[in-house]
Amino acid sequence: MFELFLDIFAYRDNFWTRMDPGAKLAMALSAIAVILLSSRAVLPLSVFCLCFACMLWIGVPVRLIAVRLTAPMGIVAVLALLKAFLPAPPGSSVLWSGTLYGWKLAATHEGLREGLLIGAKVLGAVGAMLFLSTVTPAHRIFHVLRRFRIPQGWIEVAMLMYRFTFVLVEHASEGSAAQRLRLGYSGIRRSVSSAGMLAGSVILRSFDQARSTHDAMVLRGYKGSFPFGEESAPRRQDLYGAAAVITVLLIFYSALEWRIFS
Amino acid sequence: MNRRTILKAAVFPVPAIILSAGPVHAMHISEGILPLPWAALWFAVALPFVAWGLRDLRRFDREVPFAKPLIGLVGAAVFIISCMPVPVPTAGTCSHPCGTGLAAVFIGPALTVLVSSVALVLQALFLAHGGLSTLGADIVSMGVAGAFSGYGIYRLAGRIGVPWYAALFLAGLVSDWATYAVTSFQLASALAAPGSTGQMFGAVAIAFMPTQIPLGVFEGFLCVGAYRFVKARRPEVLMALGGGAV
Repeated sequence: MFELFLDIFAYRDNFWTRMDPGAKLAMALSAIAVILLSSRAVLPLSVFCLCFACMLWIGVPVRLIAVRLTAPMGIVAVLALLKAFLPAPPGSSVLWSGTLYGWKLAATHEGLREGLLIGAKVLGAVGAMLFLSTVTPAHRIFHVLRRFRIPQGWIEVAMLMYRFTFVLVEHASEGSAAQRLRLGYSGIRRSVSSAGMLAGSVILRSFDQARSTHDAMVLRGYKGSFPFGEESAPRRQDLYGAAAVITVLLIFYSALEWRIFS
Repeated sequence: MNRRTILKAAVFPVPAIILSAGPVHAMHISEGILPLPWAALWFAVALPFVAWGLRDLRRFDREVPFAKPLIGLVGAAVFIISCMPVPVPTAGTCSHPCGTGLAAVFIGPALTVLVSSVALVLQALFLAHGGLSTLGADIVSMGVAGAFSGYGIYRLAGRIGVPWYAALFLAGLVSDWATYAVTSFQLASALAAPGSTGQMFGAVAIAFMPTQIPLGVFEGFLCVGAYRFVKARRPEVLMALGGGAV
């Protein structure tokens, strides 16, 4: 799990990483909004394909994308099956029926269609979010949130958490590896004990790190809040680019929902 | 909920586990699952609790000079703990604790909601675990329900004289199961056909039971283990964090 928490792709130099983070955030949120409003699977799947292609273009490994999609798709698989098999409204057409230990099971077309639509929406929305995170470091996303009037206290805690997560990930990984070498996870009882010790050591390390970080910050002029400085204005071409993408999304959405071109 | 629904829901986890052959996460609602009105509703429910957390942060900042780095670091620690892979014997795979019960014991429930909101944004961005549109719902289930139920049971157990290790175990267990129950309700209320919310709730709850029941028990033991480690090595840290109440 720890190796998944990587943001190296966001620090590469390419067209997308140079773009203003506010413009990228606006595009991603707009894409998610139209996906949620969409009643057909074409739009979410198109957004996913586009994001997937862009991630491949900037060199994100397919395996990493697939692993990150595993958890949401696992939940979707359960929900799709539940939607397919739970009682549907009267008049629904039966897709498959059978008996299991004397109990009648019936999947309906309508239920399965709804389940698959949810799956498509999850793919599209997660694709948009993954693309945003692979081209934008989290601290730049947090920084740009000030434009949306998010309280400074939240942003400060977020930036500290983001920065020190990597420090603590290293500590936890080393601790976990050392425990494994000593057969600390060789049985359920030992696993639970080792995990508790590891969690406790991470908390103690965080406490010590907080003190030393605070001391270092005070030496550099910290007076209780972060000096964020003047925010640079977004480039005009980024704003135009974001506006164009959002417009295309809205046209595509309208065309599909109201069948303008059919 | 009738027997037929129970049986169906009990059968469904098998393909789900096969399909999700990688690590299974503590239950968060993925991006794209909730319809927009439901997502907005859960944001509205979550916002007052996040505001409460921010108010507590300002108060804590006045009392403790290194409050913000401390909350940020404890938040990062909880985030790491919530990413620790743990074998789930019944599912034959790995899962992850929530960490909110433990955090609530150390820094209080309102601040836990605050750090949960940040942790959920990081998890959504980096692990595709949860989402931005489902952030409000996930804050309510993991942050609000998990932190307040875990902290509540911990304080209650302390008041009636339950030993600290049992109180800690209950905090971890209850916070995990409360998160799971609220998430099931959120999914059922948003996705069920009209009139079948109860049925859907039962089905979702049963479908995720194979991972969530043992995970809750594990989280209880994790709380005890972590607290015991800190208490034995550096008891002054417990007092500084305000977690030495029981």
